[in-house]
This record gives sequence, C-alpha cells and structure tokens, in this order.
Amino acid sequence: MRLEPREIDGVDPSLKELLQKRAERIRRKPAEAEDENLLWVAEFPVGEETYALPLETLRAAVPLRMVTPVPLSPPHVIGILRFQGQIVAALSLASLLGGRGWREDPAVLLVVDPGFGRLVALDCERIPKPTGLPHAQVEEARARSTGAVCEITLAGTRQVNLLDVGRLMDRRQGPEKR
Amino acid sequence: MDPLLEQLLAGFVDESQEIYERVVRSLMELEKNPAQGTSFDELARGLHTLKGSAATLGLEELADFAHKMEDVVLPLRGSSKPLPAPLADAVLKSLDVWIARLRATAAKGDLPDLGQSLALLEKVKPSGAAPAKEKEKKKKNGKGATAAETLAANVSRAPAPAPEPTLTVVPPSEDAQADSWRVSTRQVIALLHEVERLREVRLRIEERRREIDRALHQLDRLGIQAETAEARAALLGIRRSLHADGEEASDIVSSMEDGLKAISTMPVRTVIEPLRRAVRDICKATGKTARLSVVGAEVSLDRRVLEQLRGPLVHLVRNAVDHGLETPDLRESRGKHREGALAIRVEQQGNMLFIEVSDDGAGLDLEQIREAALRRALVPPEELASMSTLQLHQLIFRPGFSTKLEATEYSGRGVGLDVVRNQIQALQGQVEVQSVPGQSTRFVLTLPADLGSSPVLVVRCGEHQLGLPMAAVESSRAARTKDLHVGRSKAQLEHREQLIPLLDLGALVGLRQPEVPADGQPLLILQAQGRRIALCIDEVLGDRELVIRPLPAEIRELTAYQGAATLARGELVLILRPDFIVAGERRSDTALGSTRRALVVDDSLTARALHRTALETGGYVVHTASNARQALEQLRHSAYDVMVCDIGMEEIDGYQLTTAVRERAETDTMPILLVSARDSDADRQRGLAAGADGFLTKKDCVSGRLLSEISAVIARRKGAA
Repeated sequence: MRLEPREIDGVDPSLKELLQKRAERIRRKPAEAEDENLLWVAEFPVGEETYALPLETLRAAVPLRMVTPVPLSPPHVIGILRFQGQIVAALSLASLLGGRGWREDPAVLLVVDPGFGRLVALDCERIPKPTGLPHAQVEEARARSTGAVCEITLAGTRQVNLLDVGRLMDRRQGPEKR
Repeated sequence: MDPLLEQLLAGFVDESQEIYERVVRSLMELEKNPAQGTSFDELARGLHTLKGSAATLGLEELADFAHKMEDVVLPLRGSSKPLPAPLADAVLKSLDVWIARLRATAAKGDLPDLGQSLALLEKVKPSGAAPAKEKEKKKKNGKGATAAETLAANVSRAPAPAPEPTLTVVPPSEDAQADSWRVSTRQVIALLHEVERLREVRLRIEERRREIDRALHQLDRLGIQAETAEARAALLGIRRSLHADGEEASDIVSSMEDGLKAISTMPVRTVIEPLRRAVRDICKATGKTARLSVVGAEVSLDRRVLEQLRGPLVHLVRNAVDHGLETPDLRESRGKHREGALAIRVEQQGNMLFIEVSDDGAGLDLEQIREAALRRALVPPEELASMSTLQLHQLIFRPGFSTKLEATEYSGRGVGLDVVRNQIQALQGQVEVQSVPGQSTRFVLTLPADLGSSPVLVVRCGEHQLGLPMAAVESSRAARTKDLHVGRSKAQLEHREQLIPLLDLGALVGLRQPEVPADGQPLLILQAQGRRIALCIDEVLGDRELVIRPLPAEIRELTAYQGAATLARGELVLILRPDFIVAGERRSDTALGSTRRALVVDDSLTARALHRTALETGGYVVHTASNARQALEQLRHSAYDVMVCDIGMEEIDGYQLTTAVRERAETDTMPILLVSARDSDADRQRGLAAGADGFLTKKDCVSGRLLSEISAVIARRKGAA
C-alpha cells in the first residue's frame, strides 16, 4: 500500500500557509543545538562600557538595599548584606576594575558565585539582560586574555567585556598576599 | 572484614583513644612521683584493658604488644621511686605505635611496624622481670620462688583491675538501633541554622510588638478614644498574644539549642589533655622544664571545631616550649623559676570562643625576626626597616618564616604559624600574638561557636550602628566638661578618681577626626586585656542578644570586628572587638599626621566607595557622609582640604549644601567639587553660582580625572586667596 500525503480539503489557504510554517519550524533543528554555540551571559553597563558575567555564575540580582557599610574596609568594599542566610560582601565593580566612571548610581547587586566556595555581591547600574555570546569568540578572547576581563568584539563593532570574577578577586588580593 | 566486627572495631578505636589518653597521663605523673597509688592503678588497668579488648576482637598482635608493655611496667609497682625516664619514654612511644596500628587496622590502611617498639621495650625491661606468660608456666611447674616470682607476686597483690568494658558480639536488636542513630553532621548543621532562623523570627515577633505599641501610641495622640476603642482593644489583644508567642518561641529556641549542644559538642579537655604529653616530650628533647596549666577545659565545643583545633594547639604549645621558654639555667639567671609556665585558657563569651596559649618565656625577639625575614627574603630590607613592632610580630605568620637556622624535630622548617593561621581562618576565626620582650608571649585564637547568642550593646556613631560585646562594657555615663582633661595629642577622663584614656569611636573606625565629647554625650567605660578606657559615642541604642557570625573572607582580616549579627529588621550590625578599641590609644598616637583630608558627601553607597577608591589612591584620608545634614555635622568638628559632593541628594541637595557651607566662616573657602550623574550645563552653572569650585559628571569620575579636577579646584581656591 502506498501512503499519500494527507490533503486537507477545503482548508482556508491562509490557514494552510500557517500550518505549513509551523511544520517547517518544527522540522528545524532543536533550539538547544543553537544554544550549544552560545555562552549565556548577564550583560550590564559600567559607565560607558558593557560588561558581562557568565549566567551560570549569577545567583541573583537584588536591589541595592540593606547593605551595612563597613568602616575601615578597603575602598572597593561597599558593605555587607544578608543573602539566603549568609553574610555576603558587597563590592564595587567599578572600583575593582580600577576606578571607572559611572552613569547612574548603582541600584542593583548581582550575587555571584565566583567558584571558590562563597558568594560575593557586585554592584551594577541596571538590572542585567541575558544575552548569548558566540562560544568561538569567547574562547578566542579568553585565549588572548590573561586577566580578569576578556574583550569580545561582536558584529557591528559592539564590544562586550566578559568578566572572570574569580580572577578579579584574585587580582584584588594579589598585592596584599605579596 | 565482617561488618559487625567493623562496627565493633570503630567503637573500640574510640574507647582505646580514651584509655590511651588516661594511660599517657598516668605515665607522665609516674615519671615525677613514686610508682604507686592511683596513678599506677590507672596505668595498669589501662594497659590491661587494651590487652583484653584487643584479644576479644581477635587482634592478637595488639594484645601481645600491650602485654609486653605490662611486662615492662608492672614489675615496678610499689616502688618509692618514679618510673625511670627511658622506660617511660619507651612505653609512651610504644603506646603511640599501638594506637596508630589500631587506627590503621580499622581504616584498613598500612600497619605500622612493631619491631622497633618491641626492641625498645625489651631494652628497658627491668632486670629480673620475666614475661608474665613464662611466670605462669613456672608457677604451674611447681618451682620455688625466684626474683621474678617475687616481682610477679607484687604484681598479683595489686588490686584487681576494675571490671572492663567488654565488647560482646550481640546481634543488633531493634531496641539497640532505636537507642542511638547515626546522623550526619550536615543534618545537625542544617538544624543549627534552622534554630538561628527561629531566633530571628523571635526577634521579628518582638519588633512587631513594638510596632503595635507605636500604633497604639499614635491612636492615643489622635485623641479619638471612643471611635478607636474597638481597634485599640484588638491591638492590645494582638500585642498580648505576640508577647506570649515570643516567649514561647524563645523557650523553644533555648531547648532546641540545649539538645543540639548535647549532640554536637565535646569538652575542650579532650583536645587539651594530650598536649601535656607534647609538652613533656619536647621538654625532654630540649632539656627544658615546663608545667602546663589549663583553665576552662570543661567548656564544650563543636566536635568538628575541636578536631580542627588539635593541630594548631599542638603547634602553639610546641612553639611555646621550643622557641618561648628558656633553659632552666638561663631562666634562673633571669630571676625566673626554673620551670617554665605554660597556660591554656579557654573562654566562651556568647557564641565567640577565645583560646589563649601563653608562656612566661623570653618573648618574641624583634631582632631575630628581622634577621630571619631578611635571611628568607620575606620582606624587602627598606620595608623591614620601617615596620612597627606589631607589624614585625605579624611576620611570624608568613609562610616559610622561622628564626631557627637549622631544622630540628620540632621547628626550623618554616612550616608553622602560617599553617596555624590558615587552619584558624578556615574555621572562620582569627589568631593574634602579643609579646613582652623577656617576659611572655601570648597567642589568642578567636573562633565563632555555632551555638548560643551573645549580649551586645548597640550604639550609634554618626550614621553607623555598631555593636560592642556587653562583657567588655563596665558602665556608661554622661560626659561632663569638668571631668575631661584634653591635651594636644590625647584626652583623658576623670572617672572614679582615676584618669583613664578617652577615645572617640568615630575616629577609631575612621569615620571622623577625634571629637571631644559635648556635655551630656554618652560615654562607655570599657575594659579589655586589663586596660580600661572611656569611649565617646553618639547614642546608646540598647542591648540585644545576638548571634555573632564571622565576616565574609573579603574583610575578615579587619582587626576591628569580631563579626556581624542580624538585627530584628534583618539589617546587619558590625560587632567591634574590645581589644581593638582599648588598643586604639596607641594607634591614635601614631595616626596623627599632616595627611590631606577629603569629605565625600553622596547618598549612594557605591558612589562613596568609588570616590574613596580614587581619593585614597591620591593619598587622601577620606571621611564620608550619606546626606547633607551628616556632612554639616562632620564639618562642625573637622577641617577638610576638599569636599566632593553629589548634587542629587534627598532632603538637602548638593546646591543647598554648598550654599550652607559657604555661609559658615570656617568653611567659606573650602574647595568644593560637585558631581552629578547628569551632564547638564544648567546644573554646572547653578553649582558654580551656589559657590562650588568645580563640576564633574560621574561618568568622568575615573581615578585620574577626579584627582586632577580636585587639584585644580584646590589650586583655584589658593589662587583666589
């Protein structure tokens, strides 16, 4: 027996077109396959520049409230706050980056897990937006960079500075260790 | 291995450890006292129990080994002399091997060799003593009494060992399983955190009650008694219920804490008692004599913390004997007792634990520290030359530091106090050293304990709330001008016919320049480390029972704080260290200098941090204020070289503040730089019209630009003058 494509008789052409589009979309390769080529990051501004953190390191974005300043602390320490029962240090990202200017007073804290067993909070001018960076370009930039910031130039000469918070913190502690 | 036997073996290891510790203690006592009495009984009983229990579990080699130790020791029972030192040494070393072999058996690891220990025991065996088994054989053969038999007879006259804890192989019954559970530490810790949360809930209930009080007060002020009678009655009812609920929650917290404490803690003595052995061994090896005294060994601590403390304490005690104490002759020549005094003091204050290890030895030798640091290239010579005593003391915690030229069994390898510090920091604690040359050295370990809360006095200083452990607060009083003695570099308070140093809390924590208290301003009389000072604060906010938690690693090295605690509304309050405050007098003496000062006024925490970053890079001492009112208060007491001020602040904005500053004679020429998130010419003009000397947008506030702009406004002011 031969199987014939099922014809939908009497169907409105516009509906038929819609159904065909749907079928085509379903036949496309799964979205995950595309995602595999992207590194998902949280993108946010620091002054005039755009920075990003790998989304997997981001635990939360919380309003910059209830932060207790710590007198005598190093200048990059904004203060401490409670986050899910832990006491977490809130740090100024612009200060960690070596004293950058800023456009808006930061109102958001990004709670980040830099991968050494404790959380830190970094200030941020705006709630970050999730975006994907091409893996290939990220890897290329990482290979070029030895520091805490990888400069990734995207299409249209847009530049995103991808942060490695672990390295950023190491750099901060480095001179003290020495 | 049979699972049941494995389980029994684990229990036997714990039991043997306790017996081992008792036997070691007895041996050390018998080295100094006649080989008789309860110490000897304890020793004999311990060895016998080790032997019997090992045999019961089929550990024949260990049973025989313990038997050999008995052979060496028991013939000396009843002697009027102490145990010979080589004999005690041999038995102590053999005991170490015995317990190590037992542990290795349980862990299925490599078994330490017994050969060397057996040879050592054979060497020190008293002449005339025969192995107990041979003696028994001879007796059975009906031979006459020999010297060995006389010794054996002495042994047999000794009191019979107490009934031993036997390890009977009984299949675990359901009842036995119900009696004890195996619970992971993680589960217990999770429960501890829940208790802490419950305590916070309890505080919140109290806060709700205060809110209702405020609402009732407001209703009273409205004066509409009749109309609000029903609402007030309802609120009063809720208030009563909340009070009762709070009390009940408090009871539950206490009872849960007690239960968890019983599960998860052990007395500190379990870690400290074995240190007596370490002291004895190292004294033998170095030809020194020392007595270790312990205070507070009964304090119970988290088992995990105790286990982690074992290594650091051994290290500190070894160091105290090897580096700290002098040889008996030298001590005598210095007018000290021949026997050195070592002391360990354990104290728990709320949920903070203090362990002090001190010796009355020669103290830290600064010259030796300098030489060692140079020899090992730890610090550049020019940096070393400018180091203060406290900074030099800190060098002993550097990796690779050792004052010994050659490594010995106990020291000189440069692996030492840095490891101690790392281990204590891993427990979220701190270690400090204090030393008086020629007299003493004292190490103080401060650790958080999971359980318990601490009474804290919460005070206000400027816009900051800070906590002080109540244990350090002797009293409070109001300042009276006639009691103040203010000199050029320091101030004193006449308190109960004594002059005591008067310090300003704000200045101590870098918030402002030192202030002389106004009439009626609250003062706290604090006592710590044997020193008493008066502390000037702005307001006493009240006393609270708080759980003090360690600070995050990024700021844990700040010596000013013990930790932080959560207040009722969820905000954190920093808890100050009393020793930091009482030491403030010395710091304030050295801090007086001709540094440039800047005042940063911005309602954004992060903006203040960024300005501080830039200004401190430029060599400024920076004080901050989060609003104009606070800034004016600062300016009333202190002089600044420049003020960096945000425009967009609530209540009083930057323009108004600039105008107010210009109206005051003391500040009418102070350089002012206005900063704004907006880049508008109108804002710029308005700022300059108000009296500012410069204007900068926040996006231009990169370090170099801010500093150059500040230099420019200062120069303009000078030029105008």
